[in-house]
Amino acid sequence: MTMFHFFNCAILTFGPHAVYYSATPLSEYDTLGTSVKAALVYLGTALVKLVCLATFLKVSENDGFDPYQELLKAVIGFIDVAGLYFALTQLTHRNISQNHKFQAVGLGWAFADSVLHRLAPLWVGARGLEFTWDFILQGLEANANLVLSISLAALGSLMWLRKNKPKTLIPIIYACAGIVATMPSITSYLRRGLGWHFPKVVVFELFTSLSMAFISWQLFSACQRPS
Amino acid sequence: MALSKNPGGHRGMQESMYSVIALVFILVACVELCDAAAAIDVYRLIQYDMSGSAYGSRFAALNHHAASLHFPPGADLSRAVLIIPLRELNITFVREYINQKKPLGGLLFLLPDIFSFENGGNKQVHEKEQLKNLLAELEQLLIHANIPYPVYFAFENDEIDTVLADIKKNDAIGQPATATTGGYKLVIPTPEPKKVASPTITNIQGWLSGLKADGDTNQLPTIAIVASYDTFGAAPPLSVGSDSNGSGVVALLEIARLFSLLYSNPKTRGRYNLLFGLTSGGPYNYNGTQKWLRSFDQRLRESIDYAICLNSIGSWDNELWIHVSKPPENAYIKQIFEGFSNVAEEMDIKVGLKHKKINISNPRVAWEHEQFSRLRVTAATLSEISTAPELLQGTGGLYDSRQFVNETAITRGVKLVAESLARHIYGHQGKNVQIFADGGSLAVNPAYIQSWLDLLSQTPRVAPFLSKNDPFVMALKKELADHTDEVNMQHEVLEGVFTFYDSTSARLNIYQVASVTFDLLLLLVLGSYLIVLFSFLVITTRGLDDLISLFRRPPSRKVKTA
Repeated sequence: MTMFHFFNCAILTFGPHAVYYSATPLSEYDTLGTSVKAALVYLGTALVKLVCLATFLKVSENDGFDPYQELLKAVIGFIDVAGLYFALTQLTHRNISQNHKFQAVGLGWAFADSVLHRLAPLWVGARGLEFTWDFILQGLEANANLVLSISLAALGSLMWLRKNKPKTLIPIIYACAGIVATMPSITSYLRRGLGWHFPKVVVFELFTSLSMAFISWQLFSACQRPS
Repeated sequence: MALSKNPGGHRGMQESMYSVIALVFILVACVELCDAAAAIDVYRLIQYDMSGSAYGSRFAALNHHAASLHFPPGADLSRAVLIIPLRELNITFVREYINQKKPLGGLLFLLPDIFSFENGGNKQVHEKEQLKNLLAELEQLLIHANIPYPVYFAFENDEIDTVLADIKKNDAIGQPATATTGGYKLVIPTPEPKKVASPTITNIQGWLSGLKADGDTNQLPTIAIVASYDTFGAAPPLSVGSDSNGSGVVALLEIARLFSLLYSNPKTRGRYNLLFGLTSGGPYNYNGTQKWLRSFDQRLRESIDYAICLNSIGSWDNELWIHVSKPPENAYIKQIFEGFSNVAEEMDIKVGLKHKKINISNPRVAWEHEQFSRLRVTAATLSEISTAPELLQGTGGLYDSRQFVNETAITRGVKLVAESLARHIYGHQGKNVQIFADGGSLAVNPAYIQSWLDLLSQTPRVAPFLSKNDPFVMALKKELADHTDEVNMQHEVLEGVFTFYDSTSARLNIYQVASVTFDLLLLLVLGSYLIVLFSFLVITTRGLDDLISLFRRPPSRKVKTA
């Protein structure tokens, strides 16, 4: 039974990535290599972030919200953005269109994130006899993260790869990118500072990820029109 | 050159392979360490064979769902564990279940805090007595039954109370419904219980020599004071026997201390030797006492004037009993009884004499003095109990905890015995002399009694589970050695009539589990979610036609003409 639960939570956490890859034209254009490279870049970024956090962050005794520490974490979070920039611009990709490049990079990024942060707790926790809702909520969080990563990659590609953008939209693009990039800090503030429970936080994440995705989709199609 | 390099490389790779495999095993094992809703210490009902018949709970491992007393009538409990708090116990219900051999997955009894040493506060006295009697009755029922499923005892605490409340709520509405509102699983992963090989019983004796006048070659007479220190109860780790016979042991130690003070000075040393005996094997027809007496030299045995056995003197108010097996008209018995009565009168205690004849053919030995009498040594037992207990009854079980013992009772008992003995030894019978007067240097020390009583109330003393060099036995030996001239230990093997099994305590894990239907439902929901996601993505990125074309294979390909 408990392996069953592990299987359920695993397909909730990792299934959407596979479905996204196979459902969209990504599979037709065989962009797996791009995704894999993006995943590796994520791993490298995670390592750099870890080292920075270990060096600069103090270990706090209580689980409260320390604004200074959270600010520091947010700054370190921008290393994420730098990593994404590297993955989008510096890596050599096969000749694939803009459209598919950001999707593949976002997908690889989100998949690596899920594996790194959610596979170990799932393996250790979901197979025990004790039942908690935590792993299902974690899976939903992974889904929200996927959407967020793809929107961040979209905005990133708009910022760095597209040269001709309508002038009015540029600040909006940067603002949205900023919001999406600081999502981790926002969720941790909600959880620690305001004391929200996990289900509430997950609902919030899902809602914001969908709205961000919608906004970035609109921005992307708006930027595509002039050409 | 190339050849020599490779083996090193291979070895390095092998080592890293091994470390990876080890890591995988550790990860796999990690699942066992995941935390449960609650984990508590539980104590198993004793499992023993007596003359070939099996008694007690015959199984130890447990892996079933939990149910409470509010289970829907007609429910199948053969794979359920009934959790019964003592306060809600209906003894006829349990008796019915056991006697009619109804199938059950297991039993878990929850005992209130007053029976544990750490937490017994002073609750209402009325409730205490009721619970004590109920527990005594339950214990007698369980140890004389053959129960083919695990039976465990645990103390109530907050965690298990909330779990039980939850279980009751679910049972009331029919069945455990979804994952969050029910379905608790109790798991105790212990191995099969094995027989305890050659259980040892250890007798400790202390010898205090009397004053031999110069030129007197005869053996001095001896007075023996004996108490058995081991217990037997439904749950061996909880059988501390504060009254039976912790009170007797404490009294013996205090008497030894007082007489050692007297005997330390040759001017006050009496003309009697004193033999203090802490015997084991009490619940098993005083087997240890018998072996101890048989080991005596014939001359020593003949030199014993009389023996006083102490049994349960911890919770009496004003009345004590002296039990004898020789008829009361016997001169020695009269002398002993008069000596005790005189002192008792002064102390405002009523002492009664009870005579019970020994039947040599009956192996049942109800009082310790009977073992002496069978070897023709005059002996009597001083006890607060008026009627002879049955086999394995009143042997310091679960209900016999510190709450129910009164130190002042033991103090008065010690004074009674010590004064009577001293008057006999120093020849002051009938005279109103207070040797151990309160406030004097030879006064009975209540602090000593209290500290030893507290220690005894925290030490389970079921003989088969006490090893030869158990720290408690060593402590008793050391204490006796402090008060006497010579201490000896005798190790024997408990007679073959009784066989005991181990696995007496374990850790219970309580898990909250989801039902199978929940998992299947979740799978269905997730499957449909993924299918919907797939179709949504295909429609938005490739178009509806592509989705339909996935399901329909074109029967033939139209050749495109240029």
